[in-house]
Parts: sequence; structure tokens; C-alpha cells
Amino acid sequence: MDDRKVIEQFAPLFSPRTVAVIGASTKGTALPNVFIRRIREFGYTGEIYPIHPSAEQIDGLTAYRTLADTPKPVDYAYIAVSAAQIPDMLAAAKGHVRYAQVISSGFGEVDEGKDLQNVLAASARAGGMRLIGPNCLGLYTPRGRVTFTEIGPKELGPVGIISQSGGLGTDIIRRGMNRGLKFSGLVTVGNCADVTPSDLAEFYLADPETRVIGMYIETAQDGRRLFEILREAKGRKPVVILKGGRTQQGLAAAASHTGSLAGDDRVWVALSRQTGCIMVNTLDEFIDVLLAFQTLTPRPQHPTQRVVLFGNGGGTSVLATDFFARLGLDVAPFDKQTVGALAALKLPPGTSITNPVDAPVGTLQQEEGRVAEKILDIIYGSGKPEALVMHLNMSAFVGRTRPEVLDNLVQAALRIQSHYPGQAHFVLVLRSDGEPALEERKREFRAKAGALGIPVYDEMVNAGAALAAVQAHERFVHTRRP
Amino acid sequence: MDMNQIIIDARKHGRAALDEQSGKALLAGYGVAVPRTAVVSGAAGVDAALKQLKTPVVVKIMSPDILHKSDAGGVKVNLASAAEAMAAIDAMAASPKIKGARIDGYLIEEMAPAGQEIVVGGLRDAQFGPLVMVGLGGIFVEVLADVSFRICPISRLDAQEMLDELKGAPILKGARGRKAVSRDAIVDVLLKVGGENGLLMRHAAEIREADINPLIVSETAAMAVDARFILG
Repeated sequence: MDDRKVIEQFAPLFSPRTVAVIGASTKGTALPNVFIRRIREFGYTGEIYPIHPSAEQIDGLTAYRTLADTPKPVDYAYIAVSAAQIPDMLAAAKGHVRYAQVISSGFGEVDEGKDLQNVLAASARAGGMRLIGPNCLGLYTPRGRVTFTEIGPKELGPVGIISQSGGLGTDIIRRGMNRGLKFSGLVTVGNCADVTPSDLAEFYLADPETRVIGMYIETAQDGRRLFEILREAKGRKPVVILKGGRTQQGLAAAASHTGSLAGDDRVWVALSRQTGCIMVNTLDEFIDVLLAFQTLTPRPQHPTQRVVLFGNGGGTSVLATDFFARLGLDVAPFDKQTVGALAALKLPPGTSITNPVDAPVGTLQQEEGRVAEKILDIIYGSGKPEALVMHLNMSAFVGRTRPEVLDNLVQAALRIQSHYPGQAHFVLVLRSDGEPALEERKREFRAKAGALGIPVYDEMVNAGAALAAVQAHERFVHTRRP
Repeated sequence: MDMNQIIIDARKHGRAALDEQSGKALLAGYGVAVPRTAVVSGAAGVDAALKQLKTPVVVKIMSPDILHKSDAGGVKVNLASAAEAMAAIDAMAASPKIKGARIDGYLIEEMAPAGQEIVVGGLRDAQFGPLVMVGLGGIFVEVLADVSFRICPISRLDAQEMLDELKGAPILKGARGRKAVSRDAIVDVLLKVGGENGLLMRHAAEIREADINPLIVSETAAMAVDARFILG
């Protein structure tokens, strides 16, 4: 399908002008009442139509009897009532509803609900709408000012999310927000009786707001379609997949070598190799990698390979060098010329001037961070890295430096970045020991850095995994679209 | 040759898998080299058969009752003459594990030139459809599970990356003083099996699992020496 058509098709979901809510009570305490309050607080200004069998008004809004009775057609219906009554409600919509999201559970996720889910899907078709869910939590779309979460960034961002788990969807928004992620949308898709992760991946690939796609998938019923869509996309946008649950197929019943060898998640490894999508194992890694793609611009023409580590902490540098090497990122010593140029700076003793560059606080704070700028200038100009990881052990600064030193260091790095545009990915690692005062300072600093478009990580391993993902994406595009 | 007919015939006979000869005929239909063969019903046919084949040959039992031919004593390799082949057939017919089985005949097959043993496999995933697999033969597959999978159809680049991904990949380049084997020949087989319009894509609805084991790869060519296709 061409991009324009896909975008048009999903516009009522991501920017609904009319929202119907089924399940809100006159007492105002049910989940759908909370949903009404949340979207109003989130700035939703379109029409809201509560649907109720008898009430005239709900939460100060005129209520309607059925989905077919609303003054204007419904772009998005949020439905949270007991499972058994929903199919009839959908069938009665008579083409008046574009998207219905069924929050309720009691469908295909339990054996006794499997038939009801088939009925639900058939009713949605009969009612002329696309169905999302059932058994999910809702939709978060900053461009449409609709959200199912209590908090979430109001600004539109570049990260498009599809989650088969509702709870994890909430985690992604909340934890992601605190890490600086900004979203183009997040849809919890639950049991996927109709709309699947593949459908939404197709939308996010086409959507000009979305630059990176994240998916939490438990089962891909239409795995074949997902494969075809992602293969066709040829790494057009990075796709990060957090896969929960592993396929059981094959292992026990396998009658051949091939069958017995395929019983784990090898198919997902295959998917990632063939489509360039990045497989991650944990929620934190998911967020780390999404953050990298939100802030860094991939450079497929020169896939990331050589990394320079610069900061305070000798042991940390050594451990990180090992870890990065295991990920396929080189922290290789500088050539003679670069070492010579750094030596000419006559840095204080204790400063290591090969890569990794280990500079104690005493060095970093010299001349309000201007020494760091000179070091970085040589690193960029002569060392020519493809990524620079600046790591600051914040506890080492406490009591020894003025608070501006951290600022100065980052500003110095940004100035150098601008002198060498497009040369190296710049990543910041702010290490802390968990002291509340330090954590607070780190939070503030993270926000500042985030506003400048710098991805901030807690530890070197997180930064390493994120850079390795960027490298994998760059390499894929490099080989597939020469 | 009508490749669909091979599968239809096997189904008609109620078989859950293609026998070795049908499997190889299917592969040959997709351009994968297989050894030249002849089928005899007993030792009496050997002389005539060997007029068309080059020695040394292999003799294999053909029986729907025997799934693991080697274990049953139903495979004899490196037979240099008609006399040796006849003796092998007589010995098989008399062996305890074969005596009671239904015997369709004996397959006489030219020996493949020496080379590296490779396994190429296929599998239908419930969600993703046909997958293709490659690994190095012997302990690499059986003990170390050193294999790589891709979703069909694969491109030439996918096939090359499948080989690069194997831990045993250096062996293909000729580790420990051995000669390098033809990567291109393996890639070609992978494409014929798992590529666009390849065997697994064309028969995705009928083939549940496939094993080409071994595929023997020399410096210049690859030959499928045994093949099993499980239907369903």
C-alpha cells in the first residue's frame, strides 16, 4: 500500500476528531470515566460521546444510546464493559465508527473466550470498523491529544510504539519519558483480533512523524506479513523489537534435524538479519536503543566501528573497552600522530592519552572545561572516531568542583561536535552511586542534555548496547542499499 | 519433470515423507545436483545397472518400513565392482533388521566426489512460513547446533550471510590444511531450495520439514547425497 493511503487510513486513530466511550458510569468512577478525564487533561478538544443505555449525561457530556446514534461519525471508540455485550454493540454501529478499541478481557486470552473473540471480530467487520484489542489498555497519541495513561509527554516525538502488553505499554511511556523519549504514538494491541502489529508497523513506516519504531511482541500471528513489510522497507526506519515468549513449535514433534534445531527463537534472529530490525531482550535495552535512534542520525555510508571513550574512571574505561569489543565496537589505541598531539597538551599526570582517554577530575575541570575541549578537538580532528562516549563519574566531582563544570564539559563537547558535523555519534554516560543528592543532580543534568539532543545513559554497557544497535542498523542499510 | 507430481504420488501412496529417490528427483527438478542412480530389484540387475554408472558406487535399501537406513545396515559405500555390489545386496537381504521389511528395491548410486559435508534444511514455521537452514555436517550440526536460519525467500546476500554466521565458517575456507570448498556452490543450493521460486516456497503448503544431509561440497560443486522431505 502506498504511504499516503496508509496515513489516511490511520488518521482517525491517531488524530480522532470524535471519541466515543462505552463503559463510563454516571457515578464517574469507572475506568472509562478516568479515560474521559485523562484525555481532557491531555488537551483533547474534539467531541466526546459517552454511550450509555439510559443516562442522559455522563461527566457533563450528553450520552447516546448506541454507537450509531452519535451526532457525527465516531473516529475512535474506547470500550470497557463486560465482554459478552460488546459484539452486539459493534454490530449495531452500522458503519458509523472507524476504530474501536476493546479494553475488556475475557476473549482469546482464555480458553472459554476464544469463540467470543471470533464473534467480536466478525461483529466489528459487520459494523464496518477496524478493531483494536481486545484485552489491552488503550492508545497514547500526542498528535491527537488522546492518552490512556495518567502521565506521558505532551510533545509529539519520533518514537512509534506497538505493544502487545498494556502494562508494558504504560512502562514504556513512563520510564521512557524519564529517559527523554518522545513518542509519535503508542498503541496497545492486546489479542490482535483484527489490527495487528504489522498493520501499525506499516503505518509508522509511512508516518512522517515517526523516525524509529519499537515493538513489544508476544506472538506474531501474521509473522509472514511482518516479515514482508519489514523486508520491503529495507531499513527505511530503524525497527526495535522486544520479543516476549518463545515459540514452542517444532521441538517435541520435530522429525528432522532441521525441526529439532529450530525450536527456539531462531526465526526472530533470521527476521532481524533479513530486515535489519534490532532484537533486544529487556525493557531497559529497548528504551536505551530507542533513545539512541531518537537522538542520533544513523550514517549508513560509514557504519560505526571506531569508538573513543573519554571520561574519568580508569577501571570503567577498561571494562567498557572489553564490553564494547564483545559487541563488535573497537576502542582501538590512537595512532602516533594523535598521541603526539595529545602529549603536546602536557596534561597533568594520571591522564591517559591513548584510547580510552582516561582523564581524572583534576584534568577535566582545568580552565572551566576548556582543556577538555582541546583534548576533544584533537580526538575528532586526528583520531577520527565514529562515536564518542563521554563518561562522567559524578561522585568524583562532588565536593571538588563547581556545579558548572559538568555543563562546561558537555558544552565543550557540543562545540567540537559542531566543528566536525556528521563525523561522530556523541553519547553521554552519567554514572552515579545512587546517593539521592547525586541522583537528583543527574536527573536535572539528564534533562538538560536531553534538550540538547544528547542521549544519556546510566552505564557504559547501556551506551554500548545502544551504539551496537545503531551500528547494526547502519550496516544493514549499507549492505542492502549500496 | 512435474515436481508437484512427485508429491502427489507420494501422498497417493499414503506416505508421510518422500522416499530418498523421490526426494532427490524433486531436488534435481530444482537444479540441485544429485548422484546418478539406478534401481534394481535384486543382485541379478547389478551388471546391467553398472554399465551406466561409474564406480565406486553406494547401495541403499529402499523400504517404506526403514527410516534410518544406515542403522538398519541398509547402506554400503565404496563398492568398486559389480561383484562387490551384488555381495552387498545379498548381505542386506539376509540381515536381521531388513529381512521382515517390505523392500521396494535397491538403489545403486554413484559416489559423490570427496568434500565437506553440509546440511541444508527446511522447515515450515506456523507464523512465518517456510524457513531455510544451513550448517556444517557431523558434530557441527548434531552436537554444536551450529546452524543458521532464514525466512524464505532468501536473497543471494542472505545466503552468503547465512554461511558467514556459522562458527565453523572458516572450515569452508580450508582450515587445517584442507582445501577450500566452493561457497558459491552452497549459496546456489540455498537459493534453489530457499530462494524466490525455490523448492520450499513453491511447495510451502506440502512440505513440513526437509533435510538435505549430507550435501557434499567440493572445490567446485555441491551434490545432494541424501535427502528427506516430510510432508504434511
